[in-house]
Amino acid sequence: MTWDWSFVVKILPQLMDGVWYTILVTIASSAIALIGGLLLAILESVSTTLGRSFVRFWLELFRGVPTLVLLYFAFYVLPEAGVTLPAIPIGIVVLGVVYAAYCSEVYRGSLITIPSELRDACVALHLSSFITWQRVLVPLMIKRSIPALLNYVLGMFRETAVLFAIGVPVLMGEANVVGYENFRYLEPFTVAGVIYIGMNLPFLYLLSRFKDKHV
Amino acid sequence: MSSSMEFSQAGSFASAPASTSSEAHASAPNSQQAMWAIEFEKVSKSFGAHRVLVDLDLQVKPGEKVALIGPSGSGKTTVLRLAMTLEKPTGGDIRVFGESIVFDAAGKPLSISQEARIRRRCGMVFQQFNLFPHLTVLQNLILAPTTVLRQSREQAEKSALEYLRMVGLESKVHAYPAQLSGGQQQRIAIARALILKPEILLLDEITSALDPELAGEVLDVVRNIAHEAKVSLLIVTHEMRFAREISDRIAVFDAGRIIEQGPPDKIFSNPESERTRAFLQRVLNH
Amino acid sequence: MKAILEYWPVLAQGLWVTVWVALCIIPGAALGALILGALRLSETTAIRMTAMLVIEFLRAPSALVLLFWVFYALPLLPGMPRLSPLAAAILVLALDGAAYGAEIVRAGIEAVHRGQTDACHALGLSKLQSFRRVVLPQALSQIVPGFGSLARSMVKWTAIVSFIGVQDVLYVGNYIRGQTYNTVAVYCLLAGLYWILTVLCGAAFRAIEQVLPLNRALRAARVSTEAAPQMGATAGAAQ
Ligand SMILES: Nc1ncnc2c1ncn2[C@@H]1O[C@H](COP(=O)(O)OP(=O)(O)OP(=O)(O)O)[C@@H](O)[C@H]1O
Ligand SMILES: [Mg+2]
Repeated sequence: MTWDWSFVVKILPQLMDGVWYTILVTIASSAIALIGGLLLAILESVSTTLGRSFVRFWLELFRGVPTLVLLYFAFYVLPEAGVTLPAIPIGIVVLGVVYAAYCSEVYRGSLITIPSELRDACVALHLSSFITWQRVLVPLMIKRSIPALLNYVLGMFRETAVLFAIGVPVLMGEANVVGYENFRYLEPFTVAGVIYIGMNLPFLYLLSRFKDKHV
Repeated sequence: MSSSMEFSQAGSFASAPASTSSEAHASAPNSQQAMWAIEFEKVSKSFGAHRVLVDLDLQVKPGEKVALIGPSGSGKTTVLRLAMTLEKPTGGDIRVFGESIVFDAAGKPLSISQEARIRRRCGMVFQQFNLFPHLTVLQNLILAPTTVLRQSREQAEKSALEYLRMVGLESKVHAYPAQLSGGQQQRIAIARALILKPEILLLDEITSALDPELAGEVLDVVRNIAHEAKVSLLIVTHEMRFAREISDRIAVFDAGRIIEQGPPDKIFSNPESERTRAFLQRVLNH
Repeated sequence: MKAILEYWPVLAQGLWVTVWVALCIIPGAALGALILGALRLSETTAIRMTAMLVIEFLRAPSALVLLFWVFYALPLLPGMPRLSPLAAAILVLALDGAAYGAEIVRAGIEAVHRGQTDACHALGLSKLQSFRRVVLPQALSQIVPGFGSLARSMVKWTAIVSFIGVQDVLYVGNYIRGQTYNTVAVYCLLAGLYWILTVLCGAAFRAIEQVLPLNRALRAARVSTEAAPQMGATAGAAQ
């Protein structure tokens, strides 16, 4: 089989649809993961044993179970429980929740590197604990976490490909469909792979900038 | 409360006169005694099995300047941290203008809001400055006034500028802490504590992290405070000359107790305790 | 649940395939990571850049995209082999793991104090000798924990091999679901099995950590005094 450029041109629009969905899913899941992870980290820090063990359990669960299994679980079990949702929100939420667990580890890591003297200063300035979190601890946590979080957002972008398993039309899914419809797999998968690689570049650029800044 | 009082002119901070406070707390249980700004009564503090303070008694009058000196590990920092409620005593009671910061009237532990109200009369400056690294100088200064005192932004900024002028750093309003020298950071930290107009200011070795040249500018600021303001000062320091010059009274700590206290001249020229003598000899001829 | 347990022979077989794939890809990735990571720090710019490009190129598309390409598209190119599903899966996952691991290896080697190589130089050790006998043993105490969490992730990566028809535990689970329609139980069981596998994998790597030379030395030194907690910042290798 030889490479057919005209076929590439023909399938490109459909693959581009996949690109948009990939971007959409990445952004939406990132929002869930970044915010959810922050809330989990705060919850773990302020709560007593119960809240803390809940967060620990949550983390263990998502670090030990493949995203794919969780996806299937949500996709097949929710309708049985009477909740019918389209595949896209299911995919977004599952991915976001899994990565929220990872992100919360990152936030927790930066929280414990904030010197305790800074908290003392907050007490000495009579800041309420809400203000202390809102104005001092959370901004510092976020600032220190950005490079690691960016890494996870990149990981999440790469992992959006598995969402094709439940029928979300991400780039991987579109490539699969196009290949199946035309009985030609070479071009769709190759072009999709190249696009995926290309879409990494902005992330790699940002990461290298952070590295430069920290060295 | 002093915190809501309008502040008219730079340098007249902490202008809440002691009499106001006495009146406000005339009904406090110990009001028949002289109203101490802060009073430690039989306070002890242990970390695990380690007894850091043993039955400590210390009283400070409103406007009085007290220097705490003594060997490393003798518990001086712990006294200040207790006053700031950064630690809880394991025994005894601490009162700020007659109100306990440990127990309520019924003898139970204070609620968070009660504690917050009473300790608001204290301010503290730390050895390591502890400025917020992600905020500019101005933002560091106005954070507490806008959130704790609920001042408007303009009002807070106006007084922030006055305090910055007082510590001689009005040119650094928009700098970040990391862009300042240690001495400048510490002066900002002092301004940040003063802007809340504390009636009791706790200074914990505020020059120990600084080079000698930079320590001087910070000590000048403290001298100004001591001369102009009615604020009570509790100063932990290793700078003996400074302690002697600035304080009304010196308390010498050793192993969790005050072994001697009195006017600076007496402590330095004619100490009663042998241990004080030994300590002073060590630090003065290092 | 009972209905599912009747399928235990196929389930065991699927689990065995998953374990087998994991046991192939983790050591494979370790070896590849060591080579790629060392090349990444080569003094020759061309080698360094090539290693970096290979690493980024392997990581950029997810393992799934790579797997589909190797399995479906690669054989269509003239002169390229048609790999069996299992071979393709192992190849792709091991390569991907090697790429992620290479960054862990690189960071570990870079963390070894510069003075150590200087000392080797002063003692007249060759480059290879000083790497093998001095730098690597020390770097391992940082590399192994990082690689341990990568390995845990790699156990989870194996789930995607069912897409190209490898009959791993997920494949079998989906089959059982089709037979019994007991969705909740099947996926809870699968989740439990994967979870146990990742925990075992993590335990194995902690056991390896115990016998590393530098850790042994540190433990000996720590007998009396308590050491400061060591910060183990692991790279975002969570796919
Ligand atoms: N959070 C803590 N946990 C355990 N021990 C503590 C804690 N804080 C202080 N200590 C101990 O309490 C003792 C007194 O400490 P403190 O900081 O009050 O001494 P200090 O007089 O300020 O000494 P220095 O001049 O060195 O600052 C020390 O032995 C110290 O180890
Ligand atoms: Mg101290």
